[in-house]
Amino acid sequence: MLLDPRWFIVVGAAALAYGSLSPVVAARRLQFLAASLPHGALLATVLGIPLSSATGLPPSLCALTVGIPLTYMVIILVRRGVPEETATSVFVSFTASASIAVIYLVLTRYPSETSLWSYIIGDPLLVTWRDTAYAAAVSAVVVAMTLPFMREHVLLGLDRDSARLTGLRASLYDYMAYTALALAAIGLIRVVGFVLEHVLILLPAAVAINFSKSGAETVYNSVASAVAAGTAGVLLAVVLGQNPSAMVGFLLLAFYLTGLVRGGTG
Amino acid sequence: MTGEIELREVEVKLQEEVIIPRVSLKLEGPGLVTVIGPNGSGKTTLLRTIMGLIKPVHGWVLVNGEDVTGNPEAAGKHIGYVPQLSAFNKGFPITARELVESSLSLRLKPLRLRTPSEIREAAIRALGAVGALDYADKPISSLSGGQLQRVLIARALVWDPPILLLDEPVSAIDPAGKMEMVELIAKLSREKLVLVASHDPGIYARDSKLIVVVNRGIRLAGPPSEVLDPRKLAEVYGDSVMLVEKCVHLVDGHAA
Repeated sequence: MLLDPRWFIVVGAAALAYGSLSPVVAARRLQFLAASLPHGALLATVLGIPLSSATGLPPSLCALTVGIPLTYMVIILVRRGVPEETATSVFVSFTASASIAVIYLVLTRYPSETSLWSYIIGDPLLVTWRDTAYAAAVSAVVVAMTLPFMREHVLLGLDRDSARLTGLRASLYDYMAYTALALAAIGLIRVVGFVLEHVLILLPAAVAINFSKSGAETVYNSVASAVAAGTAGVLLAVVLGQNPSAMVGFLLLAFYLTGLVRGGTG
Repeated sequence: MTGEIELREVEVKLQEEVIIPRVSLKLEGPGLVTVIGPNGSGKTTLLRTIMGLIKPVHGWVLVNGEDVTGNPEAAGKHIGYVPQLSAFNKGFPITARELVESSLSLRLKPLRLRTPSEIREAAIRALGAVGALDYADKPISSLSGGQLQRVLIARALVWDPPILLLDEPVSAIDPAGKMEMVELIAKLSREKLVLVASHDPGIYARDSKLIVVVNRGIRLAGPPSEVLDPRKLAEVYGDSVMLVEKCVHLVDGHAA
């Protein structure tokens, strides 16, 4: 059995990014928004194909340029007094409808340029060294935007008013959290796929909460469970001839259920 | 410094509705000031305005002589805050000690005045001062309402602010715990200006030096013996005032 180090690097990088983001999502109760972000990521990614064709820029750069500001739509709506759940619903409605329209456009006008399936189900076993470097860079930025600021994100999530009284610029951290989420969702969609992104954003923290008794433990366990599920998932996929994303998802689910059986409440 | 809060012609609107019409008020510490009024009367809005979390459409808020109008960072240099338990997210498994330590280190971050061990010692001292040391290393999600309230008070006290604001601090606590909490708040008010918002007019009456009655504006302010007169309260609240066993009660609702 031949194992390519690139598989482990991309999946490990993605797991590290999602494992770091997941506690931010849990602490700040952004689960509803986070679960909706893959829809925005899919739209930005497929929109990147015609934009790249028109501008000559790399599709990934076009996707990030469109997708990150698109995510800010939710913050802008919330600032205008729209409840966060409603703003997120508007975001999902727009991005889901628009992504179908753009997928149709891409399939009819740009059929030979890309495989949309790779964005839906993920294909870490087909990555090039260039893809690997890109995934590692995206992961590094996401980790740099989350782990060093975990205390700020947690305090804002627990009690926003008290956090603001300590001098914390809440809106700065809002944009930081949304940018990191959008960056991970768009930048890593090809590695893990649209379908599994929902799971990877939400489940590592849910697993960690079931196994942890402190904030520090929760962050550590979230990253550890994501990386363990990622690397073991690739191995299982190779052994069983299955899709790696599916295996990673099943492993995270198994971790979560184990935590529940042990009496967790996450 | 024992704390001073001054509102000068402050008017607050939320979504075009006037919650606080132009009011002026000066509070000086030490001592306990209780803000009473039914649910939805504007107590929390008043507290959030004092903390700079809501910017009034008119007027100024001065805390210890500093203009903190709409500026929570400036207000936070003088005020420690204890939110309503219902506004606090218990879902993330942070321990009581982590919560107090994190809040203190965040406050000290720009100055880097203390080492991690000094921050830890300060957190333990604050938790000990409010009787919360026994559960300092337990996740906050496992604490009772009274225990969590003590931890939140420790968090507010850990940097020794001259002013303490507490929003409905006994609303989610059992009757025995309520009296312990009131005693703790009364003790703190001997050295600081402590402002408590409560829908229950009687619970802090014995320890308050001033009671402020709000219902979409400040309707009455004075010592408990003057303010907790059913006839005076009835002028403000109408049918919402009930006299039960010589105790005044305000029932929820908004008087015209």
